[in-house]
Amino acid sequence: MRIVVCVKQVPATTDAKIDPETKRIVREGTKAVLNPFDLYAVEEALRIRERCGGEVVALSMGPENAKNVLVEALSMGADRAVLLSGRGFAGSDTWATSYALAKAIERLGGADLIICGKQAVDGDTAQVGPGIAAKLDIMQAANVSSVDDICPDSITVSRMNETGYDVLKLRFPALITVLKDINVPRIPTLRNARKARAAEIAIWSPEDIGAEPDKIGLNASPTRVVKTEPPAVRAGASVRICAAPSEAAKALTEELFRRGLIRADVREESV
Amino acid sequence: MTPINDRIRPAGFHVELIPPKQDSQKLEDDLGLFASKFERVMESGFTASITDNAMGLLAFQGHECIEELGLRARPDQVLIHLNTFHTKEDLDGILSACEKLGIRSILAISGDGSPRLPKLRPSDVEAKDTASVTSVELTRYIRQHYPAFTVGVAFNPYEPEAHEFEKLKRKLDAGASFVITQPIIDRNAVTDRLLSEYPGLPVFIEAWMSKKLFLLSDVVGYPIPEDAAFDPVATLGQLREYYPSCGMYLSLLGFKTQYTVIEEMAAGAARRAT
Repeated sequence: MRIVVCVKQVPATTDAKIDPETKRIVREGTKAVLNPFDLYAVEEALRIRERCGGEVVALSMGPENAKNVLVEALSMGADRAVLLSGRGFAGSDTWATSYALAKAIERLGGADLIICGKQAVDGDTAQVGPGIAAKLDIMQAANVSSVDDICPDSITVSRMNETGYDVLKLRFPALITVLKDINVPRIPTLRNARKARAAEIAIWSPEDIGAEPDKIGLNASPTRVVKTEPPAVRAGASVRICAAPSEAAKALTEELFRRGLIRADVREESV
Repeated sequence: MTPINDRIRPAGFHVELIPPKQDSQKLEDDLGLFASKFERVMESGFTASITDNAMGLLAFQGHECIEELGLRARPDQVLIHLNTFHTKEDLDGILSACEKLGIRSILAISGDGSPRLPKLRPSDVEAKDTASVTSVELTRYIRQHYPAFTVGVAFNPYEPEAHEFEKLKRKLDAGASFVITQPIIDRNAVTDRLLSEYPGLPVFIEAWMSKKLFLLSDVVGYPIPEDAAFDPVATLGQLREYYPSCGMYLSLLGFKTQYTVIEEMAAGAARRAT
């Protein structure tokens, strides 16, 4: 069984800045990390391989330094990695990126299962996963929260919707995008991390994957970013808690929890 | 096994070692540096105190650095920190690996989390009547399932005193048998109370070995000016005089400039003792 897991290098969210002229994220000089949602995709791919055998191939597209996120996928346990890199890919939007990744998967000889994170935290579009499935004309399920069963020719998953879950059976080849609920991503071991850093990562150009030049890159991307701006700063407000110290502390803890500023376990510990 | 009380001696230094970070861009260099520091600590007869994802920053585990680099861990000279940000599988994996390496001491701490680090659930450590796992539950679990380990815990003299002493009691009731304080830079009344209330309890005083004293602002709870003058080695000397029955835990120790001085300090103490 071949499982391809698509991963993306994104700016560490707290560092992200937007170029006011191009409306694009400034990536130069910004710390880059593996898209957090993709960690869950890699983990699920590894779990399925551990159950069913086969190989996990990590696939990404980006500048050469995007190799770092592939090293992370290899450190977690992926068998090999491929990076699509080259001028021709530059400026690709989700449509062109889906095309390029689909072509790369064809070049790999296809995949039984393709797994992507729910979305990338920089663009937040959630379009590339479904886009790949559309280009390859295979079954897909987005927002998968659990893999319920897996057979030699199909996978059964729970897909989150607005009111609950759909249980879907997908014939291979298929693509799923996964939510954070699906697993707890493993922390790479030192042994795997050393192996991963020594591993050779294949770099494929547009020519290597047989991509048509008019279907990749900026000119082939129908998306136009018209305007990007940071969200308006919300006006601050003071909350006054008048109570005995222990009661005030309790009320403050509750207020912080209500606003999502502390976790439940911190609240419990504080109370 | 050497009784824990015999291991705490005036010249006994714990040297904090931080394993390489997971995102290191020069991992082999960092591992080499870790190995050389570790070996030096072993040769000096000090204890290598190896952190666990300190400050929530993802790093490799101490035991895997020892295993992978083929380092010789002298049983009484290694202390592995273990916090509550692990899966149960990883927790048991770390403890089993430490047992196999002959390591005998664990420092159980609540620790610092991060979005990448999973938090132990109460059921993972068989804790009841609690919504979250702290060093208390972790200590109890280790003592119940891995009784060969001596477990130490942290003591923070900057926390509200009554609360901290109550917490310490719970940690000791859970099976902790030694204590490491947060960094102190002078005689400290709360630490004095700790020593007088628990005269038989081995205590390590954390000595801040960086000249950047202002980095302690968050720990002590008040701002320390960036230009505050601070002599770490002189302060360490004073702390040893104030607390002669305690071991010293050295954080951020400079191996190039400070280590030889510390070795001489230990040798001097050993000579005086004989």
